[in-house]
Amino acid sequence: MKRLLALLLVLLAAGPAFGQTVVQTDNVRAELLADVAAVKPGEPFWVGLRQTIRPKWHTYWKNPGESGLPTEIKWTLPEGVKADPIVWPTPHLYDIGGVINYGFQNEAMLLVRITPPANLAGSAFKLAAEANWLVCEDVCIPEDGKFELSLPIAAAATPAARATRAIFDKARQSVPTESPWPARYGVAKSGDPTLIVEAKGLKPEMIRDVYFFPAEWGPIASMAGQTASVGADGIRIPLKRGDAKTALPERLAGTLVLTEKTADGEIRQAFDVSAKLDPAFLPSSSLAAAEGNEQLSLVEALLFALLGGLILNLMPCVFPVLAMKAAGFVALAGHERSAMRRDGLAYTAGVLVSFAAMAAVVVAIRASVGEVSWGFQFQSPVFSLLIAYLFFVVGLNLSGMFEIGGRFAGVGQGLTARGGATGAFFTGVLAVIVATPCTVPFMAAALGFALSQPAPQTIAVLLALGLGLALPYLVLTTTPALQRLMPRPGPWMDRLRQFLAFPMYASAVWMIWVLTQQTGADGVIYALGGMILIAFAIWLLRIGSGASLAMWLRRGLAAAAVLLAFGAALKLEDSPATAASASGPAAGVNFDGWERYSRERLNQAVAAGKPVFVDFTAAWCITCLVNERVALETPAVRHGFEQAGVVKLKGDWTNRDPEITSLLKDLGRAGVPLYLFWAPGAERPKILPQVLTESLILTELSSIQQAKR
Amino acid sequence: MSNIAVPRRSLMLGGAVVALMPAMSFAASPDLGKPAPLFTAVDSNGKTWSLADLKGKVVVIETTNHDCPYVRKHYSAKNMQTQQREAAAKGVVWLTSASSATGQEGYVTAQQANELTRSRDAAPAAVLLDPQSKIARAYGATVTPHMYIIDKTGTLVYKGGIDSIPSADIADIAKAKQYVRVGLDEVLAGKPVSDSSTRPYGCSLKYPRTSS
Repeated sequence: MKRLLALLLVLLAAGPAFGQTVVQTDNVRAELLADVAAVKPGEPFWVGLRQTIRPKWHTYWKNPGESGLPTEIKWTLPEGVKADPIVWPTPHLYDIGGVINYGFQNEAMLLVRITPPANLAGSAFKLAAEANWLVCEDVCIPEDGKFELSLPIAAAATPAARATRAIFDKARQSVPTESPWPARYGVAKSGDPTLIVEAKGLKPEMIRDVYFFPAEWGPIASMAGQTASVGADGIRIPLKRGDAKTALPERLAGTLVLTEKTADGEIRQAFDVSAKLDPAFLPSSSLAAAEGNEQLSLVEALLFALLGGLILNLMPCVFPVLAMKAAGFVALAGHERSAMRRDGLAYTAGVLVSFAAMAAVVVAIRASVGEVSWGFQFQSPVFSLLIAYLFFVVGLNLSGMFEIGGRFAGVGQGLTARGGATGAFFTGVLAVIVATPCTVPFMAAALGFALSQPAPQTIAVLLALGLGLALPYLVLTTTPALQRLMPRPGPWMDRLRQFLAFPMYASAVWMIWVLTQQTGADGVIYALGGMILIAFAIWLLRIGSGASLAMWLRRGLAAAAVLLAFGAALKLEDSPATAASASGPAAGVNFDGWERYSRERLNQAVAAGKPVFVDFTAAWCITCLVNERVALETPAVRHGFEQAGVVKLKGDWTNRDPEITSLLKDLGRAGVPLYLFWAPGAERPKILPQVLTESLILTELSSIQQAKR
Repeated sequence: MSNIAVPRRSLMLGGAVVALMPAMSFAASPDLGKPAPLFTAVDSNGKTWSLADLKGKVVVIETTNHDCPYVRKHYSAKNMQTQQREAAAKGVVWLTSASSATGQEGYVTAQQANELTRSRDAAPAAVLLDPQSKIARAYGATVTPHMYIIDKTGTLVYKGGIDSIPSADIADIAKAKQYVRVGLDEVLAGKPVSDSSTRPYGCSLKYPRTSS
């Protein structure tokens, strides 16, 4: 009854006698709206200036960019009433003949929170606003309007009509969310800043159109495009210093916008970022280099790849292999030139064939999966373990634990030990195998380019990288003048070789660390245990020779030890990397207040007739994170869940848990986010939209409450 | 290690960074304290002006588009004309550059430019005709009016807005700090310009439409 009365009052109050709420200019229809139908003293509410803009024209954001002016609202309010600054929707970028503008087309709702005082008296609450805005297409027109809104004052706040509330809901949805990630920025020598938003564990291939809108003119230039990259340290955006003469601020504010590809479409997300100046962070690549790289032509890419390959020779895990090769070469000194040349060519062939094979794999995967990020093989703990073993065995060999030669057939090493061209060829293969894990972070940019190109270019760039890797040895073996520069063979060779074992061991340790990132601490036991077994096997094989029974026994034992070591790999394989998300530093899914999803728990809760909400999420899913912040974890929704007695289950799909994958498939979904809601007693769940709002969840909850009554 | 980043642009190869020419938007503005970009242009009376010939004089450049509400704000309030006269009295060469591209808002023929000068009672040393927006581009102008001051040695010492209150409201002119006037006084007194780079405001400069 009270409500009805309030409604009546509103209808009366909304009459034109109280001043206009709509202003129609040549290019904009502007309307002042409130999200309440009646105002309660002391209780804040929202008003919005809604601009419906002539097609193709735009109004401006708080930072208008290189030209234009933001909309301004001047309020005339009753005594003691407070109006907060405008809360702006997420801006868009418009390139007006090369001049960059930040603003809005079609529609913009500028939200303002109004706080009436607790001692608000009278029967009506009058808001008056004078707004002015600049609206531009090619030409710009300043426009303005005067608005008046009168709302009844009541003991309880009454929400506005449903249609108006929907407008506010939509407006709130287009306001950027507070960034869930910390951000910092550093300044390069050139003076250009680089922003890092520490959103770790994102999938680069799922994100595009990243742009940072600086909150104000001055510190940062309005750029036509930004060359953001998504990497291990988060989102990195090289920016251009703006024209303000003052020093860069302690905190750089702005709005980060990006588009996330989800299984069911693309979602534009926006975050308010406040990045702290990090004096220790000196971005190495200036914007010029970054932008230049953007234009990287194939020829340049090939040159860089060649150079990159050359530098690979100095990496801690490649250098020993190469030095070993060189030392062997010195020993060969005096051999025929042709033999040496053959050796060098065979080594080069080994390197190139390995790179070609990698390129083929990359191209094939890309053809079938669509996109591939380099280092994909390192997501497999088995691969990491095997590489750690390989480093270890090469290290043992360098230390002199066993000798190359003879008929010893070890892990790949045996092949490289073969004399002549075959041996050289497999040294080349080995060099590539050990090079890859050491250099993934280092080569990321070149490979990024390679991977983003059509197949022939991808292969060309990878081959250039290989050629660079092989070049020093190739040149050495084919240039007699250089050969004469090599020192004479002597005891130094042994010492050098033994020394080189240490970088190899270090590389093995590093690979084990990588492994722990994938499997948790258990991986260490398997890896180190496996290494002991391998060392034991080598030791067994070294004792004596011949075909005695004891020898066969030792061989059998050695084989068993090696098998066991590799058994560890299998063990790792069947314990999938879910542990990584639980113990790894990149853990992102928060289970606070939620039960872990399992099919049994779900079936049980549904069977018990309880309402069930299931949230399938992943640490790298930005949309999931935003939904949590704006809809699932707000106090009102938490309270609503509690009131309705909802069983809240959360499924973590960060590592593509197979059980969840199968459920997603059953529902015809390729990925997360996915939200399911079972009303009490319902057999089938309701699939909620991918983008949630607080009101959407509350509506669902209230519908089951009503059903109960 | 999983999911290695593929930053497409950060350059590999530590030291091997080669400064390739960046493909920047042309609105990159020249640096203060550096020689101002040179240009040669014909004015509305057919006279050729070259910045190189103006060494020894303080020069002001004003981009204009007479139909832009922000240009109109300063002309109908006589703010621009007054400052042009003050500058001329102090021996400053004030060049108004009509930089709207042919066919765009603000584009003027020589006759139209002279007619505007007459009707608005303007007093620049010259109105330069810049129908290909070459001067605007060289100076990275983004708006009209976008203002620049060049000192006697040909060094760019000011770039930015005409004043400190970005609005289309004439009433704001009196309240605003007139950056160009203050800057000119400082330059003529041999002092560094205190507010040497300010926020330009106005309509977007009407550059030639690209072929699209």
